[in-house]
Amino acid sequence: RQRWRSDGRALQKLPVHMGLVVTEEEPSYADMASLVVWCMAVGISYVSVYDHNGIFKRNNARLMDEILKQQQELLGLDCSKYTMEFANQEKADQALKFELWHKALTPKILHPSLEMCMLGKTAALLLVKGLQCDDSVGREDVNFLEIPSFSTNGFPDPDLVLKFGPVDSTLGFLPWHIRLTEIM
Amino acid sequence: MSWIRESELTIIERFCANIIKAGPMPKHVAFIMDGNRRYAQKCHVERQQGHSQGFDKLAQTLRWCLNLGIREVTVYAFSIENFKRSKEEVDGLMDLARQKFSRLLEEQENLKKHGVCIRVLGDLPLLPLDIQELIAQAVLATKNYNKCFLNVCFAYTSRHEISNAVREMAWGVEQGLLEPSDVSESLLDKCLYTNNSPDPDLLIRTSGEVRLSDFLLWQVKIFCFLLE
Repeated sequence: RQRWRSDGRALQKLPVHMGLVVTEEEPSYADMASLVVWCMAVGISYVSVYDHNGIFKRNNARLMDEILKQQQELLGLDCSKYTMEFANQEKADQALKFELWHKALTPKILHPSLEMCMLGKTAALLLVKGLQCDDSVGREDVNFLEIPSFSTNGFPDPDLVLKFGPVDSTLGFLPWHIRLTEIM
Repeated sequence: MSWIRESELTIIERFCANIIKAGPMPKHVAFIMDGNRRYAQKCHVERQQGHSQGFDKLAQTLRWCLNLGIREVTVYAFSIENFKRSKEEVDGLMDLARQKFSRLLEEQENLKKHGVCIRVLGDLPLLPLDIQELIAQAVLATKNYNKCFLNVCFAYTSRHEISNAVREMAWGVEQGLLEPSDVSESLLDKCLYTNNSPDPDLLIRTSGEVRLSDFLLWQVKIFCFLLE
């Protein structure tokens, strides 16, 4: 554990937002949980977890349990120093709302939320609605980052994505936001 | 230097090509042509020379693609972000573009022979007027060819492309041409600059960088980062 902290300090640069993208058909909860705990220990503030089938999202309680379990096992006495805020986006009509769970400190975990269809359709509909409501807003004026489905609720764009599995693709993970993300 | 090099492939190249063609082939390959400046530094030549040699390599790559039966190629030639580079470098790149697009217009016969349709994607009004005219001429001259397609992304970023597409859809609804319920992911696909092309099956980036750098963020499915 101490090694993890010193590993983190030894790095010249630490990602602020790390994306963990799984392209395997059956993702491993234990592996994902230990990765998230490692991110916490090393000092990464924001973690996104994504698999294109939405398995982690549908079974997020199971993932959270596994994370808490591994937190205790791997971080031991230190585990109370690390707390987690879980941000869960729910599709609700054309608005996105968050549920906060385990209100505490960073790191925040974003579950697979911005699937491509949601990104495209919701953004477009919101833009259209906005334009319909306010004639004074020109088409050119719209700031895309203010549109809820483009915004990841305070998460910065991912600096680094670690991709696991056989497919050489991020399979629709935050297409707008990975503009400059290093993908490994 | 011509856009499509006419020289025959070497024996080794033909041998490799035959092996590759035996398996499944991508129909559309996208390239991020990166590393010209680093290459120039490595070879102790001027940056402009690096860019020029980068173009030569593109021409060679297009020849390989043609030979392998890859019918569509998209290349990232110049990003909107690149306008932030020094005036000297940007002017140099614009001169290179003038040269190459003019050359393209001289190669009509060759383009006709191979049936190459040229498309240029990006925020073209950002470019000098004379280059816009050259581009327009090249695109119009080849628009009816359909044996293979070369898409040159020039003054392009993916975010600009996506936001432009969303604005188009919004305009359509505003004008009463579309119902809000028509707005969908597939409609967005149709509003992108790349709406006439299938999504790339493969994206290749040279130079060793492992980023997409605002290129085809919506469209790209599989990517391959070539390490130095």
